[in-house]
Amino acid sequence: MAKLTIYHLFILTAVVYVLVISIFPMIYMVYGSFTNWRLGLADMDWVGVKHYADLVEDYRFYNSMTVTGFLTALAVPIEMVLGLALAQLMRVKIRFRRIFRTIFLMPLFCAPVAVALMGEIIFYESGGPVNSVLNILGLGNFPWRSSPVIAPFTVVLCDVWMWTPFCFLITLAALEGIPRELHEASVVDGASSFQIFRSVDLPMIASPLATILMFRIIDTIKIFDIPFVLVGGGGPGIATEAITIYIYKIAFRNFTLGQAAAISLVFLAIIAIISSVFMRRLRRYYV
Amino acid sequence: MSNMMDRLKSIATYAFILLFSGFFFIPLFWMVVISMKNPIDQFTLGFVPWLQFEPTLRNWEAEGFKQAAENLKALMNSTIIGLGSATIATVLGALAGYALARFEFKKMKNVDILSYFLSLRFLPPIALAIPFYVFMQRIPVGTSGLIDTQLAVILIHGSAFLPYAVLVIRDAFKSVPVAMEESAFVDGASVLRVLTRIALPVVAPAVAAVFILTFSFSWNEFLFAFVLTSKNAFTLPIRIAESVTAIGVFFYALSIRQLIAVIPPIVLGILVQKYIVSGLTMGAVKA
Repeated sequence: MAKLTIYHLFILTAVVYVLVISIFPMIYMVYGSFTNWRLGLADMDWVGVKHYADLVEDYRFYNSMTVTGFLTALAVPIEMVLGLALAQLMRVKIRFRRIFRTIFLMPLFCAPVAVALMGEIIFYESGGPVNSVLNILGLGNFPWRSSPVIAPFTVVLCDVWMWTPFCFLITLAALEGIPRELHEASVVDGASSFQIFRSVDLPMIASPLATILMFRIIDTIKIFDIPFVLVGGGGPGIATEAITIYIYKIAFRNFTLGQAAAISLVFLAIIAIISSVFMRRLRRYYV
Repeated sequence: MSNMMDRLKSIATYAFILLFSGFFFIPLFWMVVISMKNPIDQFTLGFVPWLQFEPTLRNWEAEGFKQAAENLKALMNSTIIGLGSATIATVLGALAGYALARFEFKKMKNVDILSYFLSLRFLPPIALAIPFYVFMQRIPVGTSGLIDTQLAVILIHGSAFLPYAVLVIRDAFKSVPVAMEESAFVDGASVLRVLTRIALPVVAPAVAAVFILTFSFSWNEFLFAFVLTSKNAFTLPIRIAESVTAIGVFFYALSIRQLIAVIPPIVLGILVQKYIVSGLTMGAVKA
């Protein structure tokens, strides 16, 4: 047996804490997903793979997957591109750089719930500031939250507001890490600023960009607060019902924990697949 | 000619940056404006106090006195839960981070242990909330276990934000020289003594930043707090999310609760700017 040191004790405290609080309950959930587990009832009868089989015909499950996919596919590229554009502009010496940087930082530290409610106030349809301005311009009232077609875009807008600063800050840090000599050499060689950006900057920040992309994809798939609060639990109807919201409703409104557990595990499997691709990339940073 | 091009370019740069500063700042600014408006003015576009609307502190008074009990309760809960979970995450994170930075584990490689913590970062909270709720319910105290207690939220937040602490603090230890620690070992000091007396003071700023970051994460977290609490242990995000149904479109009141919720983390975030990049990417991107 290997010699146990105090270092093992240090590691074990953290590992065991997480095991007890997070991992063991989740293992219990695996068992629960094969039973008719209900909130508040002690007896759990074995139902086999029923909950998983039900998913095949569950249109709300498919809807929630589509919604989640749509939000992610739309929000993440916008955040990445905007973040990159702002970082590229802010890296040169501009006046009031610190003030701008601080402003860009603020949304990142707002509670997502507060962001959702800001959205509610800003996009309030009869008399909110945005629609008032649109009215003055003669564009009429815009159904930001009441139209099932528009609501997902409003959710994306709030998400972009909140998370573009994340992409911006980290891209900026990566850009600032590029050695100055590389730039000076390209300028001497007569490269245009776009050429420099494409052939010097982009390759140098490709790896941090991939990291940002990964964090954003996984976090947007897990989006809950903004659609839950901004549009009343994934509404109108189920237009913004992301998968997390669907699971929440099944677990804490229908109280059918077994079914919720099954969907959670399918969701978990999807996240595990996506993150395993990224994990391999990230491991390099820790060797 | 090129002078003029440069000028145009710099004007375009400032225009773009200003546009997005507005995009990020105006919603926050609007909360402040609305919180000082009389109810009758809340759906007007004026934003210059005294000139466009008569500013008032009556909303702040109403929230501070009439609604004080509930607001104060939420504020206290958020503070206690934030401090508790940040303490758990930082202490366990410092121990594990130190061990991972200074000791080479044999059976499981260091990079595997780090990957274990990193993968926890990707767990969807909703999948964890369900079994953890039942786990807390089964703890044999009172009628419903630890549901609706600060302790339940502290425990889960501690676990959820521990991976950040481990990875960032480990990074901090890695970046400082070990010479001092080694000479202390030669003098016969114990590991615990070296850690607390020599190693920790050197990385104190990073550890403080981790504490502040995890405190902010906990302060802003919604899903776990929402699922686990009701009348007693509710946090600020729950309080403001409930405001919508409770006070309808009285945005002048809602905006105050939002400001109370977003100002502390924004101030804290600005304080730890230097550590945000590595903090948010779990050490994968260095500032």
